[in-house]
Amino acid sequence: MDTLLYLGRRILQALAVILIVTVVVFCLLHALPGGPARGILGPQATPQQITAFNHEQGLDRSLPVQYAYYLGDLVRGDLGTSYTLNEAVSRLIEQRLPKTLVLTVLSALVGLLLAVPLGMWQAVRRNKPTDYVITTLSFVAYSTPVYFLGLLLILLFTQTLRWFPSQAPQGDTLAQVLADPAGLVLPVVTGAASMVAVFSRYMRAATLENLSEDYVRTARAGGASQYTVLFRHVFRNSLTPVVAMLGYYVPVLFGGALVVEQLFNYPGMGLLFWSAAQASDYPVLLGCVLVISVATVVGTLLADVVQRVVDPRVKEGRA
Amino acid sequence: MNILEIADLGVTFSTETGDVPAVRGVSLHVRPGETLALVGESGSGKSTVALAAMGLLPGSARASGRVTVNGTEVVGASESSLARLRGRTASMVFQEPATALDPLTRVGAQIAEVIRNHRPVPRAEAAREAVELLRRVGIPEPERRASAFPFQLSGGQRQRVVIAMAIANSPGLLIADEPTTALDVTVQAEILDLLRRLAADSGTGVLLVTHNMGVVADFADRVAVMLRGEVVETGPVEEVLLRPTHEYTQRLLAAVPRLRFSGEDSAPVEAAPVVELRDVAVQFGRGPRAVRALDGVSIEVRPGETVGLVGESGSGKSTAARVALGLVPPGSGTVSLFGTDLSRSRGRARRALLSGVGVVLQDPVASLDARMSVAECVAEPLRVHRRGMPAAERRNRVAETLELVRLPRELAGRGPRELSGGQRQRVSLARALVLEPRLLVADEPTSALDVSVQRTVLEVIAELQRELGFACLFVSHDLAVVQEFAQRVVVMRAGRVEEQGPTMSTLLRPETEYTRRLIAAVPVPDPVEQRKRRTGVTA
Repeated sequence: MDTLLYLGRRILQALAVILIVTVVVFCLLHALPGGPARGILGPQATPQQITAFNHEQGLDRSLPVQYAYYLGDLVRGDLGTSYTLNEAVSRLIEQRLPKTLVLTVLSALVGLLLAVPLGMWQAVRRNKPTDYVITTLSFVAYSTPVYFLGLLLILLFTQTLRWFPSQAPQGDTLAQVLADPAGLVLPVVTGAASMVAVFSRYMRAATLENLSEDYVRTARAGGASQYTVLFRHVFRNSLTPVVAMLGYYVPVLFGGALVVEQLFNYPGMGLLFWSAAQASDYPVLLGCVLVISVATVVGTLLADVVQRVVDPRVKEGRA
Repeated sequence: MNILEIADLGVTFSTETGDVPAVRGVSLHVRPGETLALVGESGSGKSTVALAAMGLLPGSARASGRVTVNGTEVVGASESSLARLRGRTASMVFQEPATALDPLTRVGAQIAEVIRNHRPVPRAEAAREAVELLRRVGIPEPERRASAFPFQLSGGQRQRVVIAMAIANSPGLLIADEPTTALDVTVQAEILDLLRRLAADSGTGVLLVTHNMGVVADFADRVAVMLRGEVVETGPVEEVLLRPTHEYTQRLLAAVPRLRFSGEDSAPVEAAPVVELRDVAVQFGRGPRAVRALDGVSIEVRPGETVGLVGESGSGKSTAARVALGLVPPGSGTVSLFGTDLSRSRGRARRALLSGVGVVLQDPVASLDARMSVAECVAEPLRVHRRGMPAAERRNRVAETLELVRLPRELAGRGPRELSGGQRQRVSLARALVLEPRLLVADEPTSALDVSVQRTVLEVIAELQRELGFACLFVSHDLAVVQEFAQRVVVMRAGRVEEQGPTMSTLLRPETEYTRRLIAAVPVPDPVEQRKRRTGVTA
């Protein structure tokens, strides 16, 4: 019951945040110089054409009214129509989102699976060569721009070694994408690189902190082996703060997808967002931002829920 | 054979500024079934000796000499052979029960882990044994409590769980490092009782590390006194505590506040109270989880007198002090400061009123801003409350106040971290007194200090009080200290005032069972007297 109540409250909070996001996005859209009409019709458009366009699109009504219409459409799943692609935005997102999800979820999984053990290993070998080497690599991976890293990987693995194709899977359906795992390798690796760098640092710090906790000494005083101490006690205690960080990392992952999709010509949300930005296709931009915001809110919500499951103190409000 | 034999132990910590010797040439032994108390002040190296005996020294430490547990050498032993020893032949109970247990593992599982570290028993069997151990250490409803997480238990219960882990494999040696320091006196008495019984039952040798001479008198057979990494005196408990030969031991024992069993009340003060809490109630939180921190509390402090506010943790004594400081608004009831109702005054008037109150808190490290110099710390109240004061005058005032608390002028430019604990607490005191308050609220001002330092700080407070005439609300868990420094005492329990009155008559002839229990639980640093008291209590 407690948990249901908590979930209900958190979901309401999440909805409130999303509502605020829609307001911000809506305001941003209208703060653009010249408004959407100028963007669509081009610099040669006459004032008459612009007025006609504004009227046709409902852009001449007062802002609150426009916002109310926008929200009403949103609830019905109508995100508007793309100015350039002449297709419903919801339809475009529906096509692209699963692909991006595949890319980001795989990147996150691969990133975490590498980062967590790496971070722990570093903590155990603190200030020894292993630690220094991994630390250096982490900083290199973190400070290398994603597009540059992607280009390097393409050069190395498709041109020199010829292990993987330089293009991501081009199929339209999820099944087609997943049927070409080799094509996914480089995009996923590129997306996961910074994640490994960042989260191995978190994990290293959390593990080090936990290793110096009193309970570790108690466990050792009870005759626990290094293995027991690490995997039965320190691992779980260190993972909780890392899980909490994960939710906040969702927008970063989407940001990475923007570049990765561009690099590997992978028609997901990132590419959609990119081309919409280039064409001033505001309904599409707005839809993308909304989807990413929702994903972020859902991500933090999930992270909180997972934390609540892992750490009993959170439930009691003691941590 | 001795269960623990330490010969010429030396421990050196390597730090960034070079090697620091922590323990030098320490030799001692513990026979099966006896308790050796290792006493000393902070930094004396007593805990380091205990950790060395378990092979649990941190990585920055190097040990030399010999430490054998039941014949097995510990110094230089491999981690795996140490792991075989720990929890089976020798085990340890730590000071801080709040952090000693893995917060994410159920307590039953933590006990079962110690069992399974050393004996190949099936999971279910180990779980059953864990429940049995919880029963042995006096945890009510052990079947249910075994599946509790540490945060769901009280401090005393957590310490019992740590003890259950320590005795899980019936070790020959039990090392207890300040096992009751973080606990209330009544809980301390129970835990000491438990340890004594467990040790007697199974002939376990105990190495008890403590700074509390009362605990030593209560528990130990022999005592070793440590000073700056060396053992300066060792002998049977009656010898060392009643007829100490080393000058340091004498000094240490003289500084220990002792509960006295005779004395007169001081004359009551007739003047109007400087602070008066009348029927105050405070509630934290709302709904079913709300905690009633104070309930119908009435306390008053008159000019020039010290009122001791005593009680166990959670009794509401600190909350009452915060109410008097205007930091916690009372849910109901009134607080008047210097005759003015605090709830009716706002803004500038309220600030002026509150500038008449100085405050000293328990932890001098946490309560001073590490980025400010001593002089800046002391000057801050002047900057807030005496804005018009010229800088030169302010400097003079700060220098005077530092002199008042007997801090050398040279320290004014240093940071709080460069000072010792006692010096830091005197900086807090100077900061509290710089505005010449009419009321000083001191919340456990010496609880984090060693006894000899505690004595000097308390004497400075008492002397300044005579000189400056401020009233003092003195919050403490230490009845002996309160008895010595307070003219009146207020005993609190679970948010209510249990009883109050002149110090001597209240503490010597308490009217309530709770106060009686509280006083009986305080161990006195005299082994003969303490033995009498203990048998009296159990009988």
